[in-house]
Amino acid sequence: MAHVHEITVWTRGVVKDKEGRDVANAIAKAADAEGKFTQAFDNYVDLPDRVNVPLRKYARISDEDIEMKYDYENEKPEVVVVVDATIVKGIDVLRGMQGDGVLVVNTDRTPEQILQFIPNRELVRTIACVDATSIAGRSTVDFSGTEGGVDSLGIGSGIAAPILGAFAKASPLVKLEALAGVVKNKDALYQGHQSAVVRTLHQES
Amino acid sequence: MAREVTLSGCAASAQAVKLARVDVICSYPIRPYTAAMMELAKMVAEGELDAEFIHGEGEHAQLSVVYGASAAGARTFTGSSGVGVTYAMEVYSPISGARLPVQMMIADRALDPPGDFGSEHTDAMSCRDQGWMMGWAETPQEAFDNHLINYRIGEDKRVMLPQFVCQDGYFVSHIPGKVLLPEQAQVDEFLPAYDPGPHVLDPKHPVSHGPQIRPDQGAIMDLQRAEAFLDLPKVIEEAVDSYNRIVGRSYSPFIEEYLTDGADIVFFVQGGHAATARHAVRHLRDQGVKAGLVKLRFVRPFPSRQLSEVLSKFKAVGVVETSTSYGGSMRGGNLLPEVRAALYDAPERPLTTSFMAGLGGDVVPLKDFYWMARILSSAIKAGRVGKTVYWAGLEEVSA
Amino acid sequence: MFNVPKERAVPFGCVTPAPVGEQPAMITGNWREYRPVLDPTVCNLCLDCVTLCPDACWKLDEAAEMVVWNPKYCKGCLICVNQCTGEALSKAYELDFPDGVVRLEKPF
Repeated sequence: MAHVHEITVWTRGVVKDKEGRDVANAIAKAADAEGKFTQAFDNYVDLPDRVNVPLRKYARISDEDIEMKYDYENEKPEVVVVVDATIVKGIDVLRGMQGDGVLVVNTDRTPEQILQFIPNRELVRTIACVDATSIAGRSTVDFSGTEGGVDSLGIGSGIAAPILGAFAKASPLVKLEALAGVVKNKDALYQGHQSAVVRTLHQES
Repeated sequence: MAREVTLSGCAASAQAVKLARVDVICSYPIRPYTAAMMELAKMVAEGELDAEFIHGEGEHAQLSVVYGASAAGARTFTGSSGVGVTYAMEVYSPISGARLPVQMMIADRALDPPGDFGSEHTDAMSCRDQGWMMGWAETPQEAFDNHLINYRIGEDKRVMLPQFVCQDGYFVSHIPGKVLLPEQAQVDEFLPAYDPGPHVLDPKHPVSHGPQIRPDQGAIMDLQRAEAFLDLPKVIEEAVDSYNRIVGRSYSPFIEEYLTDGADIVFFVQGGHAATARHAVRHLRDQGVKAGLVKLRFVRPFPSRQLSEVLSKFKAVGVVETSTSYGGSMRGGNLLPEVRAALYDAPERPLTTSFMAGLGGDVVPLKDFYWMARILSSAIKAGRVGKTVYWAGLEEVSA
Repeated sequence: MFNVPKERAVPFGCVTPAPVGEQPAMITGNWREYRPVLDPTVCNLCLDCVTLCPDACWKLDEAAEMVVWNPKYCKGCLICVNQCTGEALSKAYELDFPDGVVRLEKPF
């Protein structure tokens, strides 16, 4: 079975639930359009969401059919996206990362300020920070896609779009143009890509 | 032409119910089936589906509402999960006894205690004596197709029975998969409008439902339904054949065999874990183990004759039990006793045992299937099974 | 006969001891984006924050004669900030504070 790339998105319940789901869904849809085998789904036991509870959304990408479709969590995420920056204080977001990982954070702070709260930062090779809130201006709050439902509003009209732009800058897993084909607010996507601050962290071997 | 979309099982079920032109829907929320009702509510609100959408005050109310609506001539839909299914228990037999083809979606959830959202088939399996049809889907695609097929079977005049259309909670209901949606015209060709027959509730021709009978008439009531179940397999075959032809599928009506040619051991699976079993069987074959998969599509009616023929070809059958029957004859789940009963009169019987796996929403990983395969292979060498029930992941077995 | 891994164990009948006062198995302090900041010189001890907090995160410390905040459970709902009669409470962004790092493995 081919390697399965795992992307974990941390977000906050109700107020940023759709945005987190948009990030995972857009990554999977864009990879799917590029011919990959993908999955995108919410963490089942984190739901039902309550306002502001930390939640996970997952995307998986593989060159072959994903055989273990039912695993509840991404045990070894290669990319972690944090939709609300304060989550880095509350959750060990890098748990399971195997090293050389990518961390994308929606924040107006610098990567150094964010990394202060992450003691196991040696697992990260690339960190990207983007102020998605000021680019997109809003988070869409909507329950339509939750719990296996179908989203009615389209992917990426809020802060998910610039976050995805930053993701494409930091990780080679999905191309920016593939994401542009999936996301509603393409301007915000490109702006996020352009303004994201990306640092490669040097690691002692 | 057919349109391919990526849908969860819940969303796929909602699409099927919409294409079935259902008349009355009664909802009540419970994880994990709720999203199907969310989708249908949106469709009704936006005018995509012309149906009466009623929010019940509980699952018992849901079934009571669709009972009345079906008796009045409506094609109905309701659904539930876990303890919601058992809360409505009182109403199942009245509906099947009244010969009303109500359809209920069950996205499985482990029964309380405590609150466990994970999938376990015990909720639906507890109701399998209530006189309804019952069967599981492996994927969102199969869930979609099963809803349409079941309406056609249930509403057939030779049958007139309600149907439980089941799918694993979360594994099938929430994890998206590719679904090929047929055109409305194809569904209309397959599924004619519901004809309730002469006993429909109608002020011009008043009828009474369920008056008092004497005890000596009770068995006759039961016999009516038993006869319907005898006629049922033929109708299922016709309906699946028609669906395959019109919509372009290749379903086998009762059981599906995968890589069973020359197999010594087979996994017998119902529901979503069949998807993992397929990969396990392929890998086992690559390693020279002659493994296969037999997937059960209907547990009611239980395809005894077909299973007796098919399972007799193999040396050992491992039944994957995703439901519990405490104190039952096999001290495990519900499927092994039925499989053994079906095989009892077969001239050549395989060894059979069962594996409690996937209970409570547990994932059944590939390595558990390999463990099961080792136990089955050892049983063949020993000429007998060690015991009738093994608990996957919870016991070491020197195989 | 059966090996139940410790992390999968459940108590008998699934009956668990109920917490008294605090529930350490359900830390919710990591739900907040903003925290309330108290100016004790302005506080008039009306105790509205104590009454209104949905998570009982404000308590009156009688010896100190001041209300005290519990960071372990505060979800940052800001009801106290909005309702403070003395305008002693204001909101501040959580990342401005080095303390309050819990880094749980999972949400609960």
